[in-house]
Amino acid sequence: MSFLDIDEAILEVAKLVEFSTSPITDFKEFTPVDVGIVEGAVCNTDNVEVLKKLRANCKILMVWGDCACFGGIMTMRNMIPLEDVLKRGYIEADSNAKGSAIPTDEELPRLLDKVKPVNEVVKVDCYVPGCPPNAKAILYALTELLAGRIPVLPSDMMKFD
Amino acid sequence: MKEITLTINDKQVKGKEGDTVLGVCQANGIDVPTLCHLDGLTDVGACRICVVDVEKERRPVPACAYPARDGLVVKTNTPKLEKYRRLLLELIFTERNHFCMFCEISGDCELQKLAYRYQMDNVRYPYTFPSKSVDSSNEYLAIDHNRCILCGRCVRACAEVAGINTLDFGKRGWKTMVAADITEPLGDSSCISCGACLQACPTGAIFCKQSIYKGRTADCQKISTVCPICGVGCELDVLVRDNNVVMIKAPKLTQTRGSLCKMGRFELLSQTSARVTSPLVRNKQGKLEECSMDTAIETIANKVREFKGSFGGVASTRVPEETLSQFNKMMHDAISTEYVDTLDGMSYRVISEGIKQFSNNGKKMDIESPVEEISEADCIVVVGADPLKTHPVVGSLIRKARSLKGAELIVIDSAKDPFATWSSLWLKPKAGSEGTLFNGLIKIMADKGLVSREKLSAELAKSLNKYDVDKVSKATGIGKEDLESAANQYGKAKHGVIIYGEGLLQKNDPKLVASLLTLASLTGDPSKDKLRVISLKPNSNSRGAWELGLAGKGLPQAKLKGLYVLLGDEQGSDEILSLIKGLDFVVVQAGYQSAVTAAADVVLPCPIWAEREGKFVSMDGRILKSRQVLQPKNGLLEDREIFAKLSKKLGKS
Repeated sequence: MSFLDIDEAILEVAKLVEFSTSPITDFKEFTPVDVGIVEGAVCNTDNVEVLKKLRANCKILMVWGDCACFGGIMTMRNMIPLEDVLKRGYIEADSNAKGSAIPTDEELPRLLDKVKPVNEVVKVDCYVPGCPPNAKAILYALTELLAGRIPVLPSDMMKFD
Repeated sequence: MKEITLTINDKQVKGKEGDTVLGVCQANGIDVPTLCHLDGLTDVGACRICVVDVEKERRPVPACAYPARDGLVVKTNTPKLEKYRRLLLELIFTERNHFCMFCEISGDCELQKLAYRYQMDNVRYPYTFPSKSVDSSNEYLAIDHNRCILCGRCVRACAEVAGINTLDFGKRGWKTMVAADITEPLGDSSCISCGACLQACPTGAIFCKQSIYKGRTADCQKISTVCPICGVGCELDVLVRDNNVVMIKAPKLTQTRGSLCKMGRFELLSQTSARVTSPLVRNKQGKLEECSMDTAIETIANKVREFKGSFGGVASTRVPEETLSQFNKMMHDAISTEYVDTLDGMSYRVISEGIKQFSNNGKKMDIESPVEEISEADCIVVVGADPLKTHPVVGSLIRKARSLKGAELIVIDSAKDPFATWSSLWLKPKAGSEGTLFNGLIKIMADKGLVSREKLSAELAKSLNKYDVDKVSKATGIGKEDLESAANQYGKAKHGVIIYGEGLLQKNDPKLVASLLTLASLTGDPSKDKLRVISLKPNSNSRGAWELGLAGKGLPQAKLKGLYVLLGDEQGSDEILSLIKGLDFVVVQAGYQSAVTAAADVVLPCPIWAEREGKFVSMDGRILKSRQVLQPKNGLLEDREIFAKLSKKLGKS
C-alpha cells in the first residue's frame, strides 16, 4: 500500500524497472533479479524458505517496513511461549468451533519459535523502516537504487511509526 | 570559580572548574548527544551515548561524568565515536521491547530521536524479547518495563527532586528493573505520585494514565501559569489541545523550589467533579432549580436589602487578587457590610498577631523566609504541620535536606509524626503545653550557652526562669533527654529552619507563633532582616488575600443572617458547612457542585482556575501571574461580571 502511495511516480518507476516475481504477478518461483524487496517479519518455515530463495536470486535485498526491519508488531508473540500462542489461537479463542485442535498437517508451514526481523535470517542490503513506511522514503530508496547507490535513509526521513 | 580552558574538536573553549566535559560542551554550543543525563540531576554515565575521546585516556569516556580540567583535549564527533553511539543504541533496542507504533510517547521520545539521528534503520544484534510487566497500580502513573532503558533518570528524580527514594534499581545484571521500594507495585509503595519520574523518563516507560494518547507535545499549546492549590505557588506548564488540558509539567524539573506534587500535576488534570452550569435558586418546595442570572441576582439583592446590616461575605483564597479585590469592593460598597473574611482568615489572624507580639516594628509576614531556605537547612523543626499532605513540595524539600544533606529533622506534634521514619526526633507535647515546650527549649539553649548573649535580652532571660527543665519535662510529658537533644540539635545548627502550619494555627493562640519567632531569632546566623521561619499558609493566594485586608477581623457569626460565599475552585469542607449552617440565606459562587452548593439558597456558576487569570501571592511573598488556559463555556460570566451585576442591582456600579 505504501508503495502505491508514491502516486504518479510509480509510472516513472515502471518505465525503468521490470517487475518479476511478486504477489501481483503470482509467479511461484524466483528468477534472478537485481533487487529483491521484502516486507513483513519472518514468522514461519515458509517465510524462511521464500526468503532464502529470494536472497539467492537477487543482487540487492531491500526490506520495507518496521516488521521487516525490526520485527515490529508481529513480535508481540515473542514474549509468550509458542505453545501458549497456538493454544490461544486454535483452542481457547471464542471464535473456535468446539473440539478444534492445533493444525498439524505436514503441508502447513510451522511457526518459528520467535518472530524475527529479516536480517536475522538472511543478509539485507538496505532498509526502509516505518509503520507504515513513508512513501517518500520508498521513492527515495528506489531512486537511489536506480542511480546505482545503496540507499541509506537520511535522519529527517527516518520514521518508525 | 576558576576559569579553565579546554580544546574541544580543535577549538579552544572556556569552562569553569567543577564542570563536566558535557557541561563545558553545552555551555559552548557543542552538540553532544545525551540520554541518561538530565540537567540538574547527578550524572551517572549509565547510557554512554555521550562518550567522547579525551587525549591520553585509553578508551572513550562519558562526557557527562568526566570532570573538565584545564588543558584537556577532547573530541566529540569522530566517526568512531558516532559508530559507537549507533552501536549502543542498537544494544539498547535489543535489550527490551522498544516498538514505536503502539507507544504513547512516540514523537516525544528521546530514544526514538537518537535512533533517527543515528539512522538506525536496522539492528545488527538479536533481540532478547524479555517478558516484562506493566505496573499500573498507581492511580496516575504506570510503568511499562518493556520500554525502560535503565537510564536511572526516574530513580535520580525520585531521590533528588521528590526526595522520597521510592524508586531504585531492583535485581541484578540482565534482570535489573526499576523497582518501587522492595519491588512493590507502585500503587502499594511509598510513592507520593509527584510525577517527577514521569517528567524525567526519556521513553514511554513511565506514563500518565490521564494524559496518554491525548496528543504529543507538538500537537499541544503550552501555557505557563501558576498552581491554584496550596501556598507554595509552583509554576505550571500546561499543555492544552482543543480546549482540554492534556498534561501539566514543571517548567524545570530540577529547580531549587522543587518540582510539582500530586495535586498540581495530576489532581488538576483529573478533576471530574461536575461543574455548576447554571444559576440555581431554592424554590418554594425547598429545591434548587435552574434560573436565569437576572432572577438569581434579583433574589440576592432582595435578601441583601432584607438582611441589611447582618449580611457578610467570605472568600476562598484560591482565586486571583483581582477577583478578591472586586469581591471586597462589592461587599463594602454595594452590600454595605464590614463583615468580610477569607475561608482561612483565622490562620491570618493568628500569624499576624503572633508576629506583632514578637516584634512591633511593622515587619509583618516579610519577617518569614522564602521556601528555598529549606534546601540550605542543617536542622529543620516542623511544628504542627503535615507538609507532605498540605504542601507536598515543601515536604519534598524537607526530606531532601534530610536525605541528601543530612539535616536534623525535629517534629513537634502531639498527634502524629508525618515524617515517620525520616525524622531524627519526635516531640509529643501534651495538649496545651506547646508554649511551655518552646520556652523550655529556649531556656535549655540559653543554659547551654547556645544562644549568643546579645540576642538574649535581660527581660527575656528573666522570663525564662520559670521554665526549669524538670518542670518543662513534666508539663509537656517529654523526656528530659529528648528536650536536651532537641535544644542541642536546633541550637547548634548553623541554618535551622522552623516550619509551622495548620496544626499549630488551629490552636488559635498567637503566643505560640510569637514564641517560635523568639526561638528562631536566638539561633544560628539569621540573615539580616528575616527569621528562618516559614508558616504554611493554606492556599495559593492566602497571602494575597490577607495583604488585601480581607481577613482583618473575621465574621461575627452570631450577628449574621446572610452570607455570600465566593467558593471558587474549592469544593467545601466541614468547616464551611458549619459556617453556613443556621444562616437564613446563603449565596455560593462556585465552579464545582459540592455539599456547599447543595446547601446554598442561591448558587452562581463561576470560572475555575484554568479559565481565570490574575495575580497570586505565594506564601513566601512571591508575586505570580496566572494565565487563562482554557476558554470557558459560552455564557459563563466572569466573577467580576457577577459582582458588577449585583452591585448595579443594588444601585452601585
